[in-house]
Amino acid sequence: MANRSGQVYGLTILCPIIENDRLDICHSMELRWYLGHLPRDHKSPFARISSTYLARLVVMDDVVYVGAPACEEHLKSRYLVFETNFDGDLDEYLTRMARETPEFVDAVWKHCVGYPGISDTAAFVAYMKKCQVPTTFFFADVNNRTVERTLKAFQTQSALAHFIEKHQGKPPAEMQREFGALLLSMTHAPLPLPGGDESDRMPQENRPQEKSPA
Amino acid sequence: MTNINGKAYALNAITPMKPWKTPILKLFFFLLGAIKPLQNDLKNLSFIHFARWVVVGRNQFPRLSGKQPQEQLRYDYLLFFSNFNGTWNQYIDAFSAVLSQGLDLVWRWSEKYPGSRPVTGFKRYISLVQFDTDYYYNVYPRAATNDVKAALRVQDALDHFASASQSLSPADFEKAWLEFLVRVQSDLGSTGMAPVGT
Repeated sequence: MANRSGQVYGLTILCPIIENDRLDICHSMELRWYLGHLPRDHKSPFARISSTYLARLVVMDDVVYVGAPACEEHLKSRYLVFETNFDGDLDEYLTRMARETPEFVDAVWKHCVGYPGISDTAAFVAYMKKCQVPTTFFFADVNNRTVERTLKAFQTQSALAHFIEKHQGKPPAEMQREFGALLLSMTHAPLPLPGGDESDRMPQENRPQEKSPA
Repeated sequence: MTNINGKAYALNAITPMKPWKTPILKLFFFLLGAIKPLQNDLKNLSFIHFARWVVVGRNQFPRLSGKQPQEQLRYDYLLFFSNFNGTWNQYIDAFSAVLSQGLDLVWRWSEKYPGSRPVTGFKRYISLVQFDTDYYYNVYPRAATNDVKAALRVQDALDHFASASQSLSPADFEKAWLEFLVRVQSDLGSTGMAPVGT
């Protein structure tokens, strides 16, 4: 199935956005306003749905007219495009969205036609699947690991690099002992924050100095 | 609008296709999926985390209520979503330089596609059919695709080495440690903040 590459699932959803000419602020504008203020770092709702690699939400206003001799045509509805890449099972992912980020799901999908709310998780999952469009071709560069394993790998890489730098030239017995202690400390260390923090996205001049792990 | 999060750029594009061409494109994608060596160029570029093409038929836009107006389209649409590292210009340049034939096989079925070479016309076309991202989440904003692969190689090597390392004599540990260092040394670069770019 093209929605999946190895362990990674590529979900694409198109949800029609409610059109109501009588509102001062249309649903699509309100939705854009909300998305524009949503945290993108470890406070993001997707950081809570911990199997998410990369995800995006896009308000698609219309199709594109590429010029004559093509025909010009337009959509009758705007669509919310939800594109996400995660490890694991689709039903479980959608269920986690409803259960672990209910305020986010509600704030976004309340602007969409046919949204059943989140009080009935099964109804929400069924709704999202009704809006799913199958992926025709999906490419995942790394498709045989989980998000957790990848975050763990970054932690290991950083800790090991600093260990090597600090312990170069030490006697083998001491090195072996210290290496054992490193392995033990890494077992208990919390994973890096999914989504990072806001300093990862600051302009160069405002960024804090890079810190070495203790 | 927020197409960038850390080191990743979210590209969205939509192009119209005459419906009779859709099965040909689907066949091409089927072959691309089934014959893995055909993906080698895409893989070797090594700056795309995830990418997908989605064909939406002119009657396949979801309609969830009788009150929602029925779409009346003459074209099928090809949607493209990519999560890549680097700038927009670097991405399109690399696509044009390395994947020219593959790209042409994908987009030649879309209306007014000019071909991926020369790159100036290709860039103009992508600019025309691209639409911006409203919200973009990236689990590891400090990492490019190559960083992910390097970190995973270090983790795998460490898992292999760690289990045996503590039962060795100090002399054997020293030898094994050096072999381990040689194996991982080129993958120990740290991740970091992305340069500011567009």
